[in-house]
Amino acid sequence: MLVGALLPWASTVLPGGAYPDRATLQFFDAPHLVSGFRLHLVLLGVLAALLSRARKPAGIGVAVIALVHMGFLIGLGAPSIGGPVALAGGLLLMWPGLTAPAPELKPPGPAVARLVLLVAFAALVWLVSETLTAGGQSRATNPYGGAEFLAFCGLVLALACALSAYGVLAWLAALTDRHRFFAFSVMLVCALALPFTDAGTGYWMTVASTIGVYAATAIGLNIVVGLAGLLDLGYVAFLGIGAFTAANLAHVVPFPVAALAGTATAGILGIVVGAPTLRVRGDYLAIVTLAFGEIFFRAAQNNIGGLTGGANSIPGIPPISMFGHAFDKPLGVLPAGSLYYAVTVVMVAVAMVMLVNLRHSRTGRAWAAIREDEDVARAMGVRTGRAKILAFLVGSMMAGLAGAVFAHKLGTVGYESFDFSESVTLLAAVVLGGMGTVPGAVVGASLLFVLPEKLREFSDYRLMLFGLALILIMRFRPRGLVSS
Amino acid sequence: MTLTAERVSMTFGGLVALDDVTLAVPGNRITGLIGPNGAGKTTLFNCLTGLYAPTSGRILLDGRPLAADPAQAMRGGVARTFQNIRLFPGMSALDNVLVGRHTRIKQGLLAALLHGPGFRKSEAAATERARAELEFVGLGPEGHMPARSLAYGDQRRLEIARALAGDPAVLMLDEPTAGMNGTETADISALITAIRDRGIAVVVIEHDTKFIFSLCDHVYVLVRGRMLVDGPPATVRTDPRVIEAYLGATECSK
Amino acid sequence: MAVLAQQIVNGLVLGALIGLIALGYTMVYGIIQLINFAHGEVFMVGAFGAHFLARYVLPEDVRWYVALPAMCLAAVAVSIGVAVAMERLAYRPLIGAHRLAPLITALGVSILLQEVVRVFYPGATAPLAFPRMFVEGHLAIGPVTILWTGVLALAVAPLLAAALHIYVERSRLGRAMRATAQDPDTARLMGISPNRVTLATFVIGAGLAGVGAVLYGIHYTQIDTAIGFQNGIFAFTAAVLGGIGSIRGAMLGAFCIGLVKSLAGQYVWGGVQYDYVWVFVLLILVLMFRPQGFLGRPEGMRA
Repeated sequence: MLVGALLPWASTVLPGGAYPDRATLQFFDAPHLVSGFRLHLVLLGVLAALLSRARKPAGIGVAVIALVHMGFLIGLGAPSIGGPVALAGGLLLMWPGLTAPAPELKPPGPAVARLVLLVAFAALVWLVSETLTAGGQSRATNPYGGAEFLAFCGLVLALACALSAYGVLAWLAALTDRHRFFAFSVMLVCALALPFTDAGTGYWMTVASTIGVYAATAIGLNIVVGLAGLLDLGYVAFLGIGAFTAANLAHVVPFPVAALAGTATAGILGIVVGAPTLRVRGDYLAIVTLAFGEIFFRAAQNNIGGLTGGANSIPGIPPISMFGHAFDKPLGVLPAGSLYYAVTVVMVAVAMVMLVNLRHSRTGRAWAAIREDEDVARAMGVRTGRAKILAFLVGSMMAGLAGAVFAHKLGTVGYESFDFSESVTLLAAVVLGGMGTVPGAVVGASLLFVLPEKLREFSDYRLMLFGLALILIMRFRPRGLVSS
Repeated sequence: MTLTAERVSMTFGGLVALDDVTLAVPGNRITGLIGPNGAGKTTLFNCLTGLYAPTSGRILLDGRPLAADPAQAMRGGVARTFQNIRLFPGMSALDNVLVGRHTRIKQGLLAALLHGPGFRKSEAAATERARAELEFVGLGPEGHMPARSLAYGDQRRLEIARALAGDPAVLMLDEPTAGMNGTETADISALITAIRDRGIAVVVIEHDTKFIFSLCDHVYVLVRGRMLVDGPPATVRTDPRVIEAYLGATECSK
Repeated sequence: MAVLAQQIVNGLVLGALIGLIALGYTMVYGIIQLINFAHGEVFMVGAFGAHFLARYVLPEDVRWYVALPAMCLAAVAVSIGVAVAMERLAYRPLIGAHRLAPLITALGVSILLQEVVRVFYPGATAPLAFPRMFVEGHLAIGPVTILWTGVLALAVAPLLAAALHIYVERSRLGRAMRATAQDPDTARLMGISPNRVTLATFVIGAGLAGVGAVLYGIHYTQIDTAIGFQNGIFAFTAAVLGGIGSIRGAMLGAFCIGLVKSLAGQYVWGGVQYDYVWVFVLLILVLMFRPQGFLGRPEGMRA
């Protein structure tokens, strides 16, 4: 075990000698200093040496970092010595050995619990900020950004697994559940504090608010798919309907009205799409939603009624502007885009509250019952048709609202943003995060929309990996990655 | 409350499953429905719970016709269990019972979204009632468990609790002791009697004639889609037609 | 009048090609009630398999009566290989999994196959020219012209459907299929292995899709990675329209879809830009109002 823990450290020393010629590159600069991914490896090594239950998670992290490292080196045509050594160390750590039993974590008093939650969420935001900025934003200044980012993800993964191995995550989840309101407020405040961290630049704010839009949309989809069990394969159409409605009204009415109109239009069309659920079940329903999605896409592509701009899209949508301040401009010390970020954070928060509140209500239970066994749900007095249409209504309104923000934020809306692959991506986000779970959709959306941003060299493989992810998750973790 | 079937017939294609069946289920009574396999018990059961619309004849609840819609039947006060247990397996036992309570909970969508005081009161009341039903069937501590992880006998009980939560006037039990041993059957027997004592009419379909005759106040015997005999257990069990049509085989084999 | 006749002929040819895909949908659904979303991709990889053979293996000047059968064999082989791998690796492990799992998996398989071909097949990021098989010939009946490739499609598709029908009705395996479709548990008790029947169904469906892919390629003379998804949806619609599970129904439905698409493109508001939309509208209407299709039987509610 000790050897395993030492190997990651050894690997940080080895590459220094192995690539003197590459020492000028940022990725390998200061060969004998401990920084970047080497720091991560050492951290994980120490973690594994000190805490027995963290050994396996640390091993996973080390292996991920080593694999990324090797992959990139091989991609560059360079031999890698440290990589295999670290990989061996990681695998050794994963070897099942004796482990101490998980310590019993007692629920603390309210004051302590609040403090813990505060610290936990603050740490989470810091981690998010670090993850976002890991590897930098531009390939031009740092060609190894992708690798650094992935390596950092390996560290985060290892830490998360380690915390989970000690039952800390479950304990935190229990605390969150007990102090729901407090936890939620803290989370909101922490999320809003992101512009004050390293990620507080115009670029990262734009990325984060795009993620926010998709996260809110994914939560809406999660209501339909996760709570009610209705597979919607044309869901992105509602985002599009919201966006096009807002885009058409943008010059006429202020943002809140446009957003309301987008939400309402999407809701009405949600009912139209949901109506077949009264007669169509299961797999057939999925096909009906797919058909609606394709009809929307074709119509938008052909500029139906002059409303979508067709191939030219709708350009020149003004930014949201309130109290005489345009949202795309910096505000005080806040970088440009922070306001959009704040809007999306609030939107995601509202969506989360909706999801949680609905789940713990008569309606949410009716949805769950329909998902589990529709015939029995009927026999228990649930008006299943009405409940299913309601799910479509709520879900599509959420997407409509997100669409309105999307239109104003981007300043231009074109039909290409709403094709089938976007529906698949959203579905993948929901499935990846865990159907019906609250953090699931957010984590899933963040992953799926950050990864392509961070790994441009992989953008060609994006959909391929999503397809593979859908298959593998259904096979091995049908309840999603987040759910415990 | 009385649930009645008036001259109900049901045909599937050319097959006559029920032929002119009349039956009355009075409140405060346990009514048994027995018959050999293929006699049409389940078909009659499905008519009485609104799943099938009879080809002819009427189903009345307190003189008012019962809609051929299971959701309406539950609202009207006819609750049921299933022969091959059909719980919501992924939901907790408590949530299963709360779904049974669905028709008696008043919550608007907006209230559900906002979780205001009115909502919380209604939710608390519903939960309290659901816990009481779990307690009643003997599953008090199991509320948080997912339904699928309960023991077989407990799943049967949970189904009954779920049906009771909807304040039914009539509780329809489809083979409640299928696959149970003697002790468990006796427990269910006691439970059914307790349900009757709450003023709820109970209808039991069963193969186990001993169970039916010891438990029920009134027994109907269905043979090949027709109502052969009905009456108190003592009369029915000695009726020569019943012995010939149905009991003969079982009695001999014992 | 001439335009109408011509559009009808075009629609029938498209219908014949779609029909070959629809047979696979209808058979798989009939046996295991799975909408094999990825079946369209089986068709697509078949087309690329044939393209690969013609472009990289066969000599330039090979005669069509050699090339065509060879390409069919290649397409069928590739399609069957992919379909078997798909059934083994993606679907079979899901038996007993939760309700949405098979459909989401099918979607995943569909995307994966499309993307793998798009990224790794040389030149597949843009439409590829399919080898021309016949010298620009066509059959002329009055004002209506049909390319020889169209004539071939119109001849081969119904022939294969008829052969399949006879096979399912008469052969031992066909009987096993029908038994499994009726009641898998009883079929198992009778000594039929549902796994083998399922696999055989996938293989037959893939084989037909492979032949369809070659016919499609030589008729429309170009292929891309989206043909599977698009025609797969058409074929699925056709299968539902005809009554899913019915072989005759699938062919009938496919001809209807072909006609709707080509006639709507000519005569209905919006023209060819919206012909695709009308197929979807038809799909929604059929699923809502006659989900059992022309030749299917209504499904009773379970209780």
